[in-house]
Amino acid sequence: MDIFEEIRSLGRKTQNPYLKEARASGQKIMGYLCSYVPEEILHAAGFIPYRLRTVESLGTEKGDLYYSALNCSFVRHCFDKAVRGDFDFLDGVIFFNGCDHSRRMYDNWRDLYAERKAGPGFLHMLIAPHKISQTALNRYTDELAKLVRALEESFGLKITDQKLHNSICLYNEKRSLLAQILAMRKGDQVPLTGAESIRLVLALNAVPVEKAVSLLEKMIEACQDRNVAKPGDLRLFMAGGCMEEADHMQLIEDQGGIVVADNLCLGARSVHTPIEEDLPPIPAIARRYLTHLSCPRMVNDFYSRSQYFEETIRDFSVDAVITDKLMFCDLWGGEAFLLKSEAKRLGIPILTLEREMHGGAAGQVQTRVQAFFEKIANLTQDDA
Amino acid sequence: MEDGRLRSWAILPVGARTEDSAYSVMRQALKEAGLTMEGLASVCATGYGRKNIPFAQFNVSEISCHGMGAHWCDPSIRAVIDVGGQDCKAICLDSQGRAVDFVMNDKCAAGTGRSLEILARAINLGLEDLGPVSLKSRHPVRITNRCSIFMELEVLQHYYGGRKIRDIALGINHAVAKRVAFLAQGLDMTPGFALTGGVSKNAGVAKSLEKALGVRFRPLKVDPQLMGALGAAVHAGVKAGVKDS
Repeated sequence: MDIFEEIRSLGRKTQNPYLKEARASGQKIMGYLCSYVPEEILHAAGFIPYRLRTVESLGTEKGDLYYSALNCSFVRHCFDKAVRGDFDFLDGVIFFNGCDHSRRMYDNWRDLYAERKAGPGFLHMLIAPHKISQTALNRYTDELAKLVRALEESFGLKITDQKLHNSICLYNEKRSLLAQILAMRKGDQVPLTGAESIRLVLALNAVPVEKAVSLLEKMIEACQDRNVAKPGDLRLFMAGGCMEEADHMQLIEDQGGIVVADNLCLGARSVHTPIEEDLPPIPAIARRYLTHLSCPRMVNDFYSRSQYFEETIRDFSVDAVITDKLMFCDLWGGEAFLLKSEAKRLGIPILTLEREMHGGAAGQVQTRVQAFFEKIANLTQDDA
Repeated sequence: MEDGRLRSWAILPVGARTEDSAYSVMRQALKEAGLTMEGLASVCATGYGRKNIPFAQFNVSEISCHGMGAHWCDPSIRAVIDVGGQDCKAICLDSQGRAVDFVMNDKCAAGTGRSLEILARAINLGLEDLGPVSLKSRHPVRITNRCSIFMELEVLQHYYGGRKIRDIALGINHAVAKRVAFLAQGLDMTPGFALTGGVSKNAGVAKSLEKALGVRFRPLKVDPQLMGALGAAVHAGVKAGVKDS
């Protein structure tokens, strides 16, 4: 199977043959919810880290029994899958206080487990501060140590510094390979579309890391001399939260654009900043995860995000920016507003999209994006 | 369009299949003009089904098309408020009728024709009567809800409470106009305003919108509901290299 087909097939399924094979051989799988949860610790404990996802969601009806209609559609779809038993193959789930909606999943899942007595029984809430400071770093380091202890006590295992060091090296390699691929989009030749990059990251977060490294190596080879940019395509920067629907990204790109850079959960945020390998592992992990390319949950880090925004727009020759948020996401609502003024300052066109996850409305998105691209063409003609 | 003038046109309700609707409306317009499909130099599609029209050579978003159509009617127009069945938009134009900025509703349908339809039906009025009836009112009711469904409940409350139909009708027009004005105020629009889309035929909404925005809409020489199609025809003319499109 061609690597792009393999990625497509891995990215659109909840489970995949690699997970099934690992389970059959007795390996455990640990779900997690956010790019602030260190996969290294889970891997060092002998688990395959698995990022929870909404692909193959059948709706939100069952999730809505626990959530309200004013919660974001990501958590409603994701929890709906949990209620239907789609994540029963997991041995545990690490929750995270990314936002109040996702934090609430911990409470709901505990209730669900008490009711069903099925599915993952190990449910752990990992807390990270919303600010970057020395105090916050100390607090987050303590939280990670608590996670280590919880895993050790619940599963009767020992997470040694050596195991952590090995995992750090492996995940640094994975990050570095993915970073290489995403950086290939800098030039005129763009080797993969934004939709493909979403599928890639979805696939990588659902297979053993050793397999992820091998997929990435194959992908790097396949990307050499590959160009998916069409003449006249606008080079786009996408910013947003957990955009999982590759089809949605494809729809945007089909209007005459190609995503060359991003600040997405399933994108640049997964690759930014390696972990320092020569420091004690837990503090090093804490430093990386607290200070990597942040999402708006980090309330005192807009300056860094804005700097990344400006540098990326320059380095990747970005023509236009699209921010894409889910309804009721206050964090990205505020960020979109701030990015709008940043874009104005930098003189780059920006479009803000808002949608429900797996919610359709393709016609509206198409019209909005096509009109945005037409507007840019009109303004560019004037400048020429 | 031919030689920079509108030769024929047709408006039909959209059916379940976009292609069928497009063929039907095209057949009618061609019949009117005494032409065949082969006689057309260029066809541009617009609107929600624009990507699925087999006989169109290219497509342009309705945002650009409404702007271009309004510009063709009156080159001094710099801002278009388009209130259609499903959505509403505010569009800023440059001196050549090109869209240079726009906003479009994305939260709900409260500022659209569909919402007017629901509210008119709630007081047993035809959509076409809502405007004329509302113009007789001097004491409009206040409708404060933002959601079309809750607006309908509020309208029914006034209806059962014995308020005059004309006052409720004007209240409805004010409410829909307020939603559109709120959206449009997000843009930095310069004078030279036009109102397009099916809702522009409701004189009551047009008047309420003028009041809410503090502007006067310029009359258009072509049916404002046709503005998107007209803009598409102008784009097709440009593509075909026809002068004065």
